[in-house]
Amino acid sequence: MYGYWGKILRVNLSTGEIKTEEFGEDFVKKWLGTRGFGIHYLLKEMDPKVDPLSEENKMIFSTGALTGTTAPTGGRYMVITKSPLTGYIAMANSGGFFGAELKMSGWDAIIVEGKSDKPVYLRIEDDKVEIKDASHIWGKRVGETERILTEEFGDKHVQIASIGPAGENLVKFAAIMNNGHRAAGRGGVGAVMGSKKLKAIVVRGHKRVEVIDKSKFISVVREKTEKLKNDPVAGSGLPSFGTAVLVNIINQNGLYPTMNFRYGQFEYAEEQSGEAMAKKYLKRNKPCYACPIGCGRVNDMDTVGETEGPEYESTWALGANLGINDLASIIEANHLCDDLGLDTISTGGTLATAMELYDKGLLKQDDLGDAPPFRWGNTEVLHYYISKLAKREGFGDVLAEGGYRLAEKYGCVDCFMGVKKQELPAYDPRGAEGHGLGYATDNRGGDHIKAYLISPEILGYPYKMDPHDISDDKVKMLILFQDLTAVIDAAGMCVFTTFGLGADDYRDLLNAAFGFDLSTEEWLKIGEKIWNAERLFNLKAGLKPLEEDTLPKRLTDEPMPEGPNKGHVVRLKEMLPRYYALRGWKEDGTIPEEKLKELGLEEYI
Amino acid sequence: MVRVKFFATLRDITGKREMEIKNVKNVAELLQRLYEMFGDEFRKEIERRNMILVNGKNILDMDGYETEIKEEDEISIFPPAGGG
Repeated sequence: MYGYWGKILRVNLSTGEIKTEEFGEDFVKKWLGTRGFGIHYLLKEMDPKVDPLSEENKMIFSTGALTGTTAPTGGRYMVITKSPLTGYIAMANSGGFFGAELKMSGWDAIIVEGKSDKPVYLRIEDDKVEIKDASHIWGKRVGETERILTEEFGDKHVQIASIGPAGENLVKFAAIMNNGHRAAGRGGVGAVMGSKKLKAIVVRGHKRVEVIDKSKFISVVREKTEKLKNDPVAGSGLPSFGTAVLVNIINQNGLYPTMNFRYGQFEYAEEQSGEAMAKKYLKRNKPCYACPIGCGRVNDMDTVGETEGPEYESTWALGANLGINDLASIIEANHLCDDLGLDTISTGGTLATAMELYDKGLLKQDDLGDAPPFRWGNTEVLHYYISKLAKREGFGDVLAEGGYRLAEKYGCVDCFMGVKKQELPAYDPRGAEGHGLGYATDNRGGDHIKAYLISPEILGYPYKMDPHDISDDKVKMLILFQDLTAVIDAAGMCVFTTFGLGADDYRDLLNAAFGFDLSTEEWLKIGEKIWNAERLFNLKAGLKPLEEDTLPKRLTDEPMPEGPNKGHVVRLKEMLPRYYALRGWKEDGTIPEEKLKELGLEEYI
Repeated sequence: MVRVKFFATLRDITGKREMEIKNVKNVAELLQRLYEMFGDEFRKEIERRNMILVNGKNILDMDGYETEIKEEDEISIFPPAGGG
């Protein structure tokens, strides 16, 4: 087979057993890769009701169809498991170089099951796979872990996916990190790894990923890479200012969530913008594997030295959402989150929840003792509580459970700005209502990256749609974005390519690599299948659609108080039934058997 | 007086973060005036793709380049940009 090796590594940490399993072209045509492979194994082998932190939960680390090839941005991998934060599917995606190295080692995916008694790491060097003792690195931060393991391996080209103290301590929004600052960030996948006592996966590969017709593939890759380079956003906007160029854009458009989504504009946004970061701290760009865009930032600060990021989301989560304007503290906090192995969005969202509770007098200083007050704009909150929550020390133990459980503990669930117990990202949907429908229906809860309706509603890609239009056209666009994103994820490519590429371009790349002759519609059907399979998993795990495909009350019932979107709410109730209908689902949000059959999912019912 | 704000690369081209401008009726007229002030480099950047907001609302959701501009309006002009 081309593109893949047809080999899956299965590692049972309870028994120490290591097995090789094989798959063929039919499996690729059915599931394509990453999220597709992952959901197949979870549905097939695991009861969706299992405790996410028990040995029954499984983790799939999977490359995508084009991972490790020269396809632009083709270096990504995903971690698919049951989330301890949401209780539903988690599929976290990361760039950097780990995914490509995994593919080059001759393995397409790793299934990790069971639970080790003592800390271990997985060492992969091509065909040689070992479970090794990790007691000497347990407790270490990500940067130190990578340094020690690289040294032990004796090869600087080795790639490492690891957890920091946050994952070890089962923080519900712990991330898996690679290349220091690249994160399979959301859903608490790091906590699942921690629960299995798996500190890291270390991989080195020397194999070349082959495609069926090399010269044809190279010419398709060249064409698509040129398209990206010539695109004004992918070719110049993102490389010049990174993702944080969005700070000013989203703020000026009036949907930059400020102080836990109370407002849609932040007075000091300019001071934390991509423009400000480039002038003050940017040292150079840092692209991921095979990426012609290169949006990654290497910043330099005296306090932390060279560091990467923060991205737009992290800048916001650790800044405006807490009323914090100090970019230096935001950069330091972002560095700390990376090194401790924390998802920055959920970290910021949890701290914002605490600030809301404190502001309302529900969380009192007595509850905190001598620890810093959760006052809006108090930068000490970043410096103090991020470390505490990663170690579950003091009030950090409460914060480590995430914003939803914190809000519930203090009797104000409406103070939590999230969906399905996962903290929302950096767009107030009262200024982009289709994006709000995306939040409500996302299989992994509050999330922006599985259907980025900000593209048409705000940025004008592929064409401009009115952010307050909630017609069927908007709902159909969301569904298309959800399905197409599943294809891009499963292809192992970065969603930022959508600024320069369309659905036909992904078809061309995939067909050229595998020698398939699938139409764009057929590839999108695979995306639809992945989306529905993930939904099926959530339903089996106990999802109550009408109660949980929802948004915080603030966004549906409290009109935006000021700015360009003043007076607007998200009209979710008007969109959701049409979303279900256009998906071919029942009125109660479940999937009818005939739909599952149409998608070839009958074996998973 | 209309307040015009520039972002990203437009700041380097114009050498300004913002400026005030008088007597422009609509966005097309404003752009014409800016092209005259800042030359071809500015024009090229805008013509590649852009985002223009009048009081935070995108002109593409209103009357495009014909969108009227009133005294006291705030115009935000972005070159091609995106992220996520």
